Amino acid sequence: MSNICVKNLSIRFRIYHDRSPSLKSYFANLFKSHSNDAHSDFWAVNDVTFDIQAGDRVGVIGHNGAGKSTLLKALCRVYEPTRGEVHINGRIAPLLEIGAGFHPEFTGRENIYLNGSILGHSREQLRSIESGVIEFAEIEEFIDTPVKYYSTGMYMRLAFSLATAMHPDILILDEIFAGGDASFIKKAKARMHNLIDNANIMIMVSHDHELIRTLCNRVLWMDHGTLIGDGEPNEIIDRYLAKSYS
Amino acid sequence: MKGGLIRLCIELFNSRNVLWQLVAQQLILRYRRTALGYLWTLVNPLLMMSVMALVFATLFKQDLKTFAVFLFAGMIPWNFFNSVVTQSSAALINNEGLIKKIYLPKVIFPLSIAIACLIDSALSFLALFIIILAVGGTLSWAIFFIPVAYLLLLVFSFGVGLAISIFTVFFRDFQHILLIAMQGLFFLTPILYKNNALTGKMGWLIAWNPLIPFVDLFRGPLYGLAIPPTGTLLASTALSVLALVAGLAIFLAQERKIVFRL
Repeated sequence: MSNICVKNLSIRFRIYHDRSPSLKSYFANLFKSHSNDAHSDFWAVNDVTFDIQAGDRVGVIGHNGAGKSTLLKALCRVYEPTRGEVHINGRIAPLLEIGAGFHPEFTGRENIYLNGSILGHSREQLRSIESGVIEFAEIEEFIDTPVKYYSTGMYMRLAFSLATAMHPDILILDEIFAGGDASFIKKAKARMHNLIDNANIMIMVSHDHELIRTLCNRVLWMDHGTLIGDGEPNEIIDRYLAKSYS
Repeated sequence: MKGGLIRLCIELFNSRNVLWQLVAQQLILRYRRTALGYLWTLVNPLLMMSVMALVFATLFKQDLKTFAVFLFAGMIPWNFFNSVVTQSSAALINNEGLIKKIYLPKVIFPLSIAIACLIDSALSFLALFIIILAVGGTLSWAIFFIPVAYLLLLVFSFGVGLAISIFTVFFRDFQHILLIAMQGLFFLTPILYKNNALTGKMGWLIAWNPLIPFVDLFRGPLYGLAIPPTGTLLASTALSVLALVAGLAIFLAQERKIVFRL
């Protein structure tokens, strides 16, 4: 069974006030003490602790810049914890930004293999899902054309179809929605729901509170990097909305 | 360090698919939609070396055929080292998009560059070798030493590349400094001239050039028609191991920090 255990997780970003110091000041500061470095610390995630068990459908809410996406990226190991620990059991599928790792010069088919391997699929797995992905994305005609010639819709459809082709244990979603026309969106939503139903654990960040109410059985409320609410969706969302509009 | 190495090996094995995809990406993309395609990898160094051989054989008043073999034996390791190091400097920066969105063992970026350069170099070696034979060069059994030379050079270049890929993330100016430094290093390395040609005030500097044993590894079998002396072998092996250990130590110590600095 999958589970996620996050303990006292903190992630610090350094904000550099002067990205490119002049050569003169660079060498002038080289031998000075580092106490007056031109940076300040920003704790995007600050001392967050929670456990997620198999079967949990977790929604993460909070204002812009509350640390929701940073938290998800820490679960996907993109950001190493500055302090604290993250323990994960199970095959994790990071759908943070679909189409990450697509190469514009490669054809659609080549990108299935390139991006698919980045997502952690083996060559054999990719060969077995290739035709299904192409069919779902409805781009049979253009599959051997470099993706830089694709329309935004075609690009999104291919990226979405590939990203959602495998069933992971742990599904991590950051505001995922599919582009395309109405009929594709309908098809994509059905596929998303199917993916979520089959996942052992699902964690999503969304500003669509109605979506979270229908999909999740638990909500984490992030505020300025700290976790200030953890519980039943309706209760937490109502408290969050009450605070936002007060 | 030891635990880090074991973890690194497991992760590398698990992401071998990505590694091959990245290697293929580099080899395929460069010449896509060009008429000669991958042949450019062979044509380019071939033309460059022909021009250099012509000019410098005349300048140094050398026999063209002998000098061509001499130059070719020096240019092969230089070109390989040069491409690995300069391309590695952008290895992490160019893949910022990926590194910020998905977890991958970051070693695969410089490693894929080293492997792609090795394939390029081996092919241009073959092409040049055939041409040398065609114009009447001599062949010896020492040629079977070349794979060993390549292995040592690969390990050395990869080690240096690892350190440089990290360094440029923290200090972006270094990418530009590196280009100038490599140009200087080319003239300070005995490629156009023999090892003992630069004497006097420059002599000591030349003697400390770590590339010399690697050039000798190739020049021995190809030009001298003999396996390089034990001293060269020991020096190049020691340098390779040193570069790899130092490169890995720097890389593993910093790889978690770079995502915050890209």
